[in-house]
Amino acid sequence: MDPTRLIPQALPIPVEWGWFYLFQVLTFILHILVMNVMLGASIIALVHHLRGKRETEPLTTTISVKLPFTIAFAVNFGVAPLLFMQVLYGQFLYTSSVLMAVYWLAVVGLVIAAYGSAYIYDFRYPSLGGLKTVFIGVTTACLLATAFIFTNNMTLMLNPETWTGYFDNPGGTILNLSDPTVLPRFLHIVASSTALGGLALALIYSCRTSDPQATHWIRHGMNWYAFSTVVQMALGLWFLTALPERISHLLLGGSLPHTLVFAAGATLGIFSISNALRYNVRTTAIISVTTISLMVYLRDMVRDAYLSPYFQVSDRVVTGEYLPFVLFVLTLAAGLVIVAWMLKTASTDTEVRS
Amino acid sequence: MNFPIWELHWAGGGLLIALISVFHVYIAHFAVGGGLFLVLTELLAYRRQSPEIMDYAKRHTKFFLLVTMVLGGITGVGIWFIISLVAPAATVSLIHTFVFGWAIEWVFFLGEIVSLFIYYYTFGRMSRRNHLAMGWLYFFFGWMSLFMINGIIGFMLTPGDWPATRDFWDGFFNPTFWPALVFRTCIALMFAGLYGFVTATWEKDAPTRETMVRYCALWLLLPFGVLLLSGWWYLQVLPEGPRAMILGANPEIAPFLKGFVQISALLFAGGLAMAIRMPAAVKRPMAVTLLVIGLLYMGCFEWMREAGRRPYLIYGHMYSNAILAGTEEAISKQGFLATSGWNRNQEVTPDNALDAGKEIFRGQCASCHSIGGPLNDIKPLTAVFGRFAMESMIRGMGKIHSYMPRFAGTELERGALASYIVEGLHGKKTAAAEALARPEAALEIPPFDAENCKYVLLAWCTLGEKCISDSDAHFSFLPPGSALVAQLVRRDTRPEIVTQAVKLTYLPPAGFENPSKHVDFWKYAPSLLGKELPANVSAKGLGLSGEMKLNEKNLTFVADGIPVLPYPDGGGVNPYPVFTIEARDASSGELLAMTRVVAPISTEIGCRKCHGGEWRRDGVTGISALTASDVLARHDRRHKTNLLIQAEGGKPVLCQSCHPDPLLNAAGKPELLNLPASIHGFHANYMTGMEDALACHACHPTGPDSHTRCARGVHASQAGLTCVNCHGTLEDHALSLLKAEKEAGKAKADRLMRHIKPRLVATVEEISPRQPWKDEPDCLTCHLDFAAPQGDSAFNHWVRGPEGLYRTRSDDAGLMCEACHGPTHAEYPAVNPFHPDLDAIQPLQYQGAPGPIGSGGNCAVCHTEEMLDEFHHPNILGGK
Repeated sequence: MDPTRLIPQALPIPVEWGWFYLFQVLTFILHILVMNVMLGASIIALVHHLRGKRETEPLTTTISVKLPFTIAFAVNFGVAPLLFMQVLYGQFLYTSSVLMAVYWLAVVGLVIAAYGSAYIYDFRYPSLGGLKTVFIGVTTACLLATAFIFTNNMTLMLNPETWTGYFDNPGGTILNLSDPTVLPRFLHIVASSTALGGLALALIYSCRTSDPQATHWIRHGMNWYAFSTVVQMALGLWFLTALPERISHLLLGGSLPHTLVFAAGATLGIFSISNALRYNVRTTAIISVTTISLMVYLRDMVRDAYLSPYFQVSDRVVTGEYLPFVLFVLTLAAGLVIVAWMLKTASTDTEVRS
Repeated sequence: MNFPIWELHWAGGGLLIALISVFHVYIAHFAVGGGLFLVLTELLAYRRQSPEIMDYAKRHTKFFLLVTMVLGGITGVGIWFIISLVAPAATVSLIHTFVFGWAIEWVFFLGEIVSLFIYYYTFGRMSRRNHLAMGWLYFFFGWMSLFMINGIIGFMLTPGDWPATRDFWDGFFNPTFWPALVFRTCIALMFAGLYGFVTATWEKDAPTRETMVRYCALWLLLPFGVLLLSGWWYLQVLPEGPRAMILGANPEIAPFLKGFVQISALLFAGGLAMAIRMPAAVKRPMAVTLLVIGLLYMGCFEWMREAGRRPYLIYGHMYSNAILAGTEEAISKQGFLATSGWNRNQEVTPDNALDAGKEIFRGQCASCHSIGGPLNDIKPLTAVFGRFAMESMIRGMGKIHSYMPRFAGTELERGALASYIVEGLHGKKTAAAEALARPEAALEIPPFDAENCKYVLLAWCTLGEKCISDSDAHFSFLPPGSALVAQLVRRDTRPEIVTQAVKLTYLPPAGFENPSKHVDFWKYAPSLLGKELPANVSAKGLGLSGEMKLNEKNLTFVADGIPVLPYPDGGGVNPYPVFTIEARDASSGELLAMTRVVAPISTEIGCRKCHGGEWRRDGVTGISALTASDVLARHDRRHKTNLLIQAEGGKPVLCQSCHPDPLLNAAGKPELLNLPASIHGFHANYMTGMEDALACHACHPTGPDSHTRCARGVHASQAGLTCVNCHGTLEDHALSLLKAEKEAGKAKADRLMRHIKPRLVATVEEISPRQPWKDEPDCLTCHLDFAAPQGDSAFNHWVRGPEGLYRTRSDDAGLMCEACHGPTHAEYPAVNPFHPDLDAIQPLQYQGAPGPIGSGGNCAVCHTEEMLDEFHHPNILGGK
């Protein structure tokens, strides 16, 4: 069957596609950073609990306190790019979501379980004993499962030619496992998570100047970053080779923008490893965020390359309804100002006893 | 819209949406009202300088944080996920229309998270002013989230001008925006109290516990007044369609409306009860119970709102099954399957009907109907339907009762869908019609000595087929009471109709004397007719035998109201009992003439074809209890009556006690449609587009496959005419009746007429209205000047009765039309299925041929000399 017959019609959009694209990329960078910290930190904590060494308790305690925040913000920062992406690619994403509906819906339960378990791990940390491993294990497992489901959906939406599986299985239990990119893509992100988890811990401890163990944990975090990034790069190569040739070709010289972004991202990634091994936290963080931003943008370019036989993201009917858009930008600006005030107040006004 | 459809079976029909949404919305309202609760409780602690209250506030904040962030926040995303999976087309539409509305809401969501985290984690560690500011900010962000979502949810129910303008603001600030905002704000405040009960009752310090429980009770009770007012306002601004749905037009909503009202009272009482001093061991389970009741409360409201927009997802724009309003006609022409590449079958073929039907079900039904699940399970809803009924139901969907969309598809697709439901889901096989064995009736032609007999006795039943509803324990609309009419002619050179000094009697055949043994009519007569009746005596006082009364005006003898039934004592079914009519000299008792006549009587009314159940008698006739119950249950469901309960309580009703009907001279409730208009008008919406008289045959015993096969007159047996030739198709027939009711000012006629299209004429305007039983097809439409017929359609040419009707008209000599030509539907020469000559006893008795009396030059039946001039009516000698 001709897969184009399966692709739903794209609806008109209120303002030019570039705005959605911009907000999608920007908010997704935020999401991927927080999500990586969340997943990475929970993996790191789980690894430490499984190893069972008492001396890592301060680190896992720190993770237990911070983890619920990261989950809350990972969800919040995930909502925005998903929203903007639906405007541009809804006809693909909704279709693939339906094909794997059971798993996609399971994300809700998985995140609730991960979040709830993380709060128990946080609030009951001192009294949990051996159960700590169970609760952080539940959180980690649920988050990994969620990531795996997302990887499946984000790749299934790019492959309309595989959608015909629906005719034999309309019950929503299709995964995109036959796609060779799924596993390396998933592992690539998991490795990125442990890297960012380690970096986040290093950043936290670099603010705790009075903590005598701060240096130890900074180094510990940076080691996680460096070694994870090495693994991640290897996985990235696997990912690259798993891509269809017409896509990987674009990244390897076939298209200047694709190749430039890819090369810049990869080079900065390598550069960040050497910085990390020198425990240069701030520089590593800046390079790392830059690398991730480039890779997120590359991810979008790859998506468009995948969909190019069927769809051009720029080819949309625009209704030109700008007022709601302006209102959103104003609300966002005002919201960010208020959030900044709240954060500033929280950091400066927490000693006063009422 | 061409999205694949997630096949859910048991969990279909919106179950997943309902579960996730109600759960989320319950917490989301708490998240809004609870925000205000937090700051005001903190302020209360400051005002009373109470560390205990402050401790409570902090503990409650932790509970609040966990419930709203873990469960509330994630299930909110969950709603988005589930609607995109179950209704992707509508979700895409909502996202595209309101993307910046959602985006603004996302900013508020971010603000909520940041402010709530800071509020909780800095409790007791931040300056009073700043901490309260965090609380107020949280409440602001929470309420603004409600503000945004309220606009988008309201849009789906009342999109206002949006369908025309497609303007964001028209959709957002839609007609129900403000009342819904006030209503939801009140609910949010009340739920703050409900959730507060849970933490307050777990407070260990007894005085603080009592203080806080009463404080929470105030939160629950105070908004009630505004809640009810805004609820009323909400209803007032709803357009007529959704308002009618919520107030009863959608039977699906009724229990939720009732539940909402009852739970309102229950919550109020619960709030008052919580204020009474009681031990914690009592109050804690009460608090949890109230929390669960609150969930049900939310569920009732959201269900009403959701179901109130039936049959749409976005009112007036997109149906529940994602078909866009206004595209049904085009889809019906092109075919539904071909509208989406996600259908494996792009058209229906003889080989793929079941599979194609399944795909059509998935595309058009599954969004609201589960298969064997808790929500709108299609199986019990269609359990009684065979293929014919199912297809009829599909034809009629969304026409009278607008809570379902109309079916959009070709005839073949409709058939495939019906096959899938009946055969695929219920495993029923469409049985081939079995040939019914009819015992051949004994025929005894009474003797007639043409030389010596002085009298000719002509007798007939005024109706070619009298039908009786034998469902007396449930309802009745055709009680027993047949009419036999006779005319006695003295043979002469100038024959004379005799009305004086003679006595005419009627006598049933053996075995037909006791109809009360076979039906419950006499048992329930007090309820049906308002009076006791002696057994075997009709409402008009006639028994199975007796003397006929003279009708001087018509020169006839009449026995109107003989309670004969087609059920002989010896068993079996005989719709054509032969009565004996005798004319005797009134003074001497001498037998002047004797004849026999069929009193056609049938209980073969095909309600079971759609209402389920078997035939009541011998598998061939009668309305069974199961069938009758289904008829009443559906009437009750649609019209808010209690007929089934009444019947089960021994008080069945006569349909004409409400519906006027000229047949029984019943005035009924004059504002209601008369019974024939109502029945035909309603069913014409379902049994539409059927070939020729197929729709007639479904209910009346007229079809060639029926046991009674009452259409046995010359029109049916020789000319090959059907019901349609004279009465029109069901649609035409129904419109003619409804149009008269409409002209009589009955608004309900319009509702039934809305989707009925005439078939024998081009427009409804061309339909000539008529009164049932009074205005009937005019024989002279085809039989111009009583000559041989020209044309074969008498539809729309009504003779205005009752005076002009065939059954009440006479010729120039005073002989009734039916005396010589036989009754309607059994006009001579008739062919009876139980014996070919059963309906022709008198023609055979008097002239040895089955044609009309006197036809074929048989003037000698009455005239003792040859007749050369035309009398009685024009063309009498030229007629065949």
